[in-house]
Amino acid sequence: MREEWRIIAYVVTSGILVVMLYGYILYLYRSEKSGKRDYEKYGKLALDDEIDSPVIEDKPASERYKDEK
Amino acid sequence: MFFRWIERNPFFMAAWISLVIAVAGLIEIVPDFAKAARPVEGLKPYTVLELAGKEVYKKDNCIACHSQLIRPFKSETDRYGDFSVSGEYAYDRPFLWGSKRTGPDLHRVGRYRTTVWHEAHMWNPPAVVPGSIMPAYRHMWKNAADIETAYAEAVTVKNAFHTPYGPGIRKGKEAWEKYKPTVLAQARKVAEEMKGTEGVSKEEVLKMIDSGKVPEIVALIAYLNRLK
Amino acid sequence: MQSNAALEYDYSLAKKFTFLTILFGFLGMLIGTLLAAQLAFPSLNYLLGEYGTFSRLRPLHTNIVIFGFTVSGIFATWFYIGQRVLKVSLKESKFLMTVGNIQFWLYFVGALLAVVSLLMGITESKEYAQFEWPFDIVVVIIWVLWGLNIMGLIGIRREKALYISVWYYLACFLGISMLYLFNNMALPTYFTSGGLGSFFHSVSMYSGTNDALVQWWYGHNAVAFGFTVPIVGMIYYFLPKESGQPVYSYKLSLLSFWGLLFVYLWAGSHHLMWSTVPDWMQTMGSVFSVLLILPSWGSAINMLLTMKGEWQQLTENPLIKFMILASTFYMLSTIEGPIQAVRSVNAIAHFTDWIIGHVHDGVLGWVVFMIMSAIYHMTPRMFKREIYSKKLIETQFWLQTTAVVLYFTSMWIAGITQGMMWRAVDEYGNLMYSFIDTVNALHPYYVIRTIAAIMYLAGFMMFMYNIYKTVTAGREIEEEPQFRTPIAA
Repeated sequence: MREEWRIIAYVVTSGILVVMLYGYILYLYRSEKSGKRDYEKYGKLALDDEIDSPVIEDKPASERYKDEK
Repeated sequence: MFFRWIERNPFFMAAWISLVIAVAGLIEIVPDFAKAARPVEGLKPYTVLELAGKEVYKKDNCIACHSQLIRPFKSETDRYGDFSVSGEYAYDRPFLWGSKRTGPDLHRVGRYRTTVWHEAHMWNPPAVVPGSIMPAYRHMWKNAADIETAYAEAVTVKNAFHTPYGPGIRKGKEAWEKYKPTVLAQARKVAEEMKGTEGVSKEEVLKMIDSGKVPEIVALIAYLNRLK
Repeated sequence: MQSNAALEYDYSLAKKFTFLTILFGFLGMLIGTLLAAQLAFPSLNYLLGEYGTFSRLRPLHTNIVIFGFTVSGIFATWFYIGQRVLKVSLKESKFLMTVGNIQFWLYFVGALLAVVSLLMGITESKEYAQFEWPFDIVVVIIWVLWGLNIMGLIGIRREKALYISVWYYLACFLGISMLYLFNNMALPTYFTSGGLGSFFHSVSMYSGTNDALVQWWYGHNAVAFGFTVPIVGMIYYFLPKESGQPVYSYKLSLLSFWGLLFVYLWAGSHHLMWSTVPDWMQTMGSVFSVLLILPSWGSAINMLLTMKGEWQQLTENPLIKFMILASTFYMLSTIEGPIQAVRSVNAIAHFTDWIIGHVHDGVLGWVVFMIMSAIYHMTPRMFKREIYSKKLIETQFWLQTTAVVLYFTSMWIAGITQGMMWRAVDEYGNLMYSFIDTVNALHPYYVIRTIAAIMYLAGFMMFMYNIYKTVTAGREIEEEPQFRTPIAA
């Protein structure tokens, strides 16, 4: 009996995580399409990394998201 | 939205990473614990001498080349004996399955090798198995096995994990001094089966035991003979 | 925190850990070469008395490469990358500087003592977790100090967005913490027996099959969080920076990150196929191993595409060559792993040299190549000098690449040969070969492997020499190069 429950738990958790992963893909592309966010600009973080290079985000995400609302 | 919540703060992200990592372990490993730890019927815990031998096995890292896990294939059961079952390992702390067979499996080596075979083989492997690439372990005749630590281990597993040891296995120096002759007697029994090698005679081995020290080789052979 | 024109990144910690990376890399590979030679020529087992046998030295090799070389490499690159992508200098926090220095010295002394302890045979005998409990405690302290540094640097960062490399380092920190703690749960027998026996000895809290499950949950995922996650973190920084091309798709890098974390952990049970762990678990291990190809290749392909339109750099810049080859080897070993996790393949491959081959195409081809190119990239910037010799890098590159190929091909053949011989039966169903027959058949491959090991070690010594000459005699450069690392022709 226990074994069955574990298999179910295993499959369900994997299922949930897979759905979330796909949800994440959707979320990424949607928020970029709607112009809310530009993820690709973060790629520049590795290139312009002098201490006096301009920062890409000057506010932490928690504050930025407040402004959006 | 959920994903925003993750992106919002590095510490939320850290928490989420930990959760994603932990979930597999929780479901895969934890629920099996009680079941897999149950010993097969009739399984006896290792004697103190055998534990000391297991320490020698660990110290010289036999696990680097020898497994203790017979898989359920005919080619393996023909070569090594019955396939291994979970309950046989109930007293193995740590497990010594190994992951590489540069040499053969040893899970049931006690069924088909003898004290004399091990003695000759550990002294000079290619003399017993022509072509063997295993090194000789002659220092095991000189070094004394740490039987006191083995006793400490027996005491620990008895108290902490209820491994069924007799009343002689108790905490403290006094109990150990009282128990030590039992270990030496076990060692003497193994040593008496030995033949002696070109370098160390049987008498020298016995003499070492009588002086209160068990050569590593004797403890190791006791352990290997126990693997059945 | 006002930005300050005179403020500079502080590389002192990165330099110290780079030194350790090179030291431990050399030691680990030297012992590895000796081990390879011992299997081909057993008389080499007696060079150091009881301390020189294959069995005693093998954990030294694995632990020095994992906890010495790779972990120092992770620390060195973190103290370099961390500051740069967060745009904050360690100089700005005395506290983090002090913590970092304590971490370094504790690590240096602890690592040396741990090496000695393994040589003495003080071991828990759990693979890649051999250290006895006092050393485990030191490892935990070092790790916590490093965690403090990551969190602290994130806390005072000027750049609020976290670059993907930082995610990977963070995951490395968290993952290893969890794995290491749970796998090393043990009771020190000296204290539980009323002061009997050795102070160092401990007994595992888990027994038999449970211990095996925890151990391979650890063993598999230590590879994930030690050899994969942080190294991917490195390449996400160094390849774009060296080539001047941003990551091809930042979104893909985020996806691969979560994909890797999610899938990797479930695959650990593939190390225990055909053992006494429950069947469904073995099957799941197998399924997830195959799924693991997706996020791994996601990152690797992202790296290759980053070079899109800039492939000429591959011929011009030896560092790009190293990094592209590293991601290619990453692709190779992440497809090889899942193949070995298929039950029927595993039945042949398990316990043989094919597994050793798999580990080495991953570590020699991916981890070591990546860490070496990271050091080649960092050294001119840390010491303000040009790399001493391009010719040497080129020679090293070809020597080591050939060595890796020789290594894994010989081990593939050796492994499959032995696996097939173990199961071969004659027409009456009797086993055809005794065990020793199957050992003797491997001799030529062991010799080839030894040659490969010597070649690889020679390449690494060229690397050491090149770095040494760079630091002491390289042409000085005035300004920090923006992208391509300056190398004297």
